Amino acid sequence: MSKRLLEIADLEVTVQRRGREITPVDGVSLTLDRGEILGIAGESGSGKTLTLRSILGMLPHGSRIRGDLRFALADDPPAPFSPDAVHGHGISIIFQEPMTALNPTMRIGDLIAEGPRIHKGLDKAEGRARAIELMKLVGIPNPERRSKMWPHQLSGGLRQRVMIATALSTEPKLVLCDEPTTALDVSVQDQILGLLQDLRNRLDMAIIFVSHDIAVLGELCDRLAIMYAGQIVEIGPTDDVIADPKHPYTAALMSSVPSFQKSEDDLVGIPGHPPDPESFAPGCRFAPRCAFAQPDCRTAHYDLVEVSAMRATSCIHPEALSPS
Amino acid sequence: MTAFLDVQNLTVEFPMGSAIAARLRREPQPILKAVDSVSFSVERGESVGIVGESGCGKSTIAKAIVGLVRPASGTIELDGTPLTGSRSRATQRKIQMVFQDPGSSLNPSLTVERTLAELLTIHRIVPKEQVPERCGELMDLVELPRSMLEAYPKRLSGGQRQRVGIARALALEPEILIADEAVAALDVSVQAPILNLCNTLRRELGLTLLFISHDLAVVRHISDRVVVVYLGTVVEDGATEQVFNDPRHPYTRALIAAAPKFGVKKQPGKSALTGEPPNALDLPSGCRFRTRCPLAAEICSQVEPVLSGPPDANRAACHFAWEESESKT
Repeated sequence: MSKRLLEIADLEVTVQRRGREITPVDGVSLTLDRGEILGIAGESGSGKTLTLRSILGMLPHGSRIRGDLRFALADDPPAPFSPDAVHGHGISIIFQEPMTALNPTMRIGDLIAEGPRIHKGLDKAEGRARAIELMKLVGIPNPERRSKMWPHQLSGGLRQRVMIATALSTEPKLVLCDEPTTALDVSVQDQILGLLQDLRNRLDMAIIFVSHDIAVLGELCDRLAIMYAGQIVEIGPTDDVIADPKHPYTAALMSSVPSFQKSEDDLVGIPGHPPDPESFAPGCRFAPRCAFAQPDCRTAHYDLVEVSAMRATSCIHPEALSPS
Repeated sequence: MTAFLDVQNLTVEFPMGSAIAARLRREPQPILKAVDSVSFSVERGESVGIVGESGCGKSTIAKAIVGLVRPASGTIELDGTPLTGSRSRATQRKIQMVFQDPGSSLNPSLTVERTLAELLTIHRIVPKEQVPERCGELMDLVELPRSMLEAYPKRLSGGQRQRVGIARALALEPEILIADEAVAALDVSVQAPILNLCNTLRRELGLTLLFISHDLAVVRHISDRVVVVYLGTVVEDGATEQVFNDPRHPYTRALIAAAPKFGVKKQPGKSALTGEPPNALDLPSGCRFRTRCPLAAEICSQVEPVLSGPPDANRAACHFAWEESESKT
């Protein structure tokens, strides 16, 4: 069985904005192994959500995807696929806002059973049994009673568990998570993160988790990709990326996060704004805000380059970060 | 009490559902106690963080202090003077608030300058001819270019809007600034300079800061003291470092355990906090945390614990706040 589950090469997403074509995702390449949790961090507008959604073709009307996406549907190596063929057959997605993502006119049990009934051909009774089994799996108390309730009758945390159960109902190999804990309280968020990690261990499914919250990604993910202005600027094992960034943007981002250790130091922050997709300049897109920028940064060809095992950065002067 | 801002037994109630329906059913209308006998005090120049999960009443406390909601009972005193529901303009000026979403709390049809000038004029902060100059000074204070005075809110980024929100609050020369989740909607790279700005303003203008947030890391960064709120009551209150290093209430402990910690490796899902807060309309008897509490014993369902603790330590509303550690150590 091939270890590789997903391969994305040179992904480009173009969107229509005010009659002009912009490219908010511009040349993203990444790979994912079976059972791996990959985090994609980035600030609003960095293209992280579009990257995630493009895997299932869930993009705004009028957008176009270019690039090579391959997914290992069976035990074979990854192969090109059409989004419709894998949605529900190997890839599921979980959204941020469980209230708007769950159909309000369906009872919880029917919602969870819908996937297995369509994709696996279960009848009504089998579907109900499967729904209750899944609700137990994701830790919903009183599944029999709750399966007859409506989405609006559940709390935010339970709704998110229902969405996870729905996503798991078709036994996916890959679950895409689009900020699924952002709307939740910390205690509930912690439970959901624990649940995702536990499910990964038990079911050996891979997860791509998109979030703006570095602290959350640091806890959950095996590998972390940092996105800036539509491109991945750094990728590597989570702990290494956080502790020893190889890209100035990553470093600046990390020094903006309030640490849980008390420090009297001021947070650093990043001066300026990310560039607008309408005016992406050649060269490194972070250069105008970068404290280490050199003349060639604005002209050099950009690409993710491996700097050590498993680690890659797009910075052409990563040595500037660690003067030694 | 000689504290600068002194909140005693503050209670805020909201009637729920339809009054007519309740009358027709011959039932009393259900009343939600969003804030239930909350007491705390803030010293001049201090920065106090109020933390808690959504629906715990932390924003309602802030609104009651600013005068946006009327308390059912309890007192709020500023510098020894009680603040009532109807406040004079001079009193209103003293406490100002910065809201979470600057996109919706700024008037979209006014330029930044008109937003600020309107306040300066209505409250007669400066003579009319000095208004434009003062607007410029306010922009300097929040580190925005003066050229931005001409801009409409929709032209500004989230961080810039939030700075305008702060400038608007500062226009009235308040003594207390209440920030209600003021950085929650911002990206970290934008959030960091705003937090720094709050710290600078506090140092330079001697502002008292009341910082309401669900984000423990942010609160830890910015506050001298922390008040932890659960279901409308204060469960713990103490110096920030003391509360974070030696939390006494099991809820505080669980909350800190559950928070994702940047720079600290931890496994998610190992917090003692299971389930979700009970319905605020149907509170458990005794201690309201007991349904989720790992330490709950019989006394917890019978007696509601009060905030207490030895002098110079954090105060916690738990029957076992101080016993349990003695048996442990």
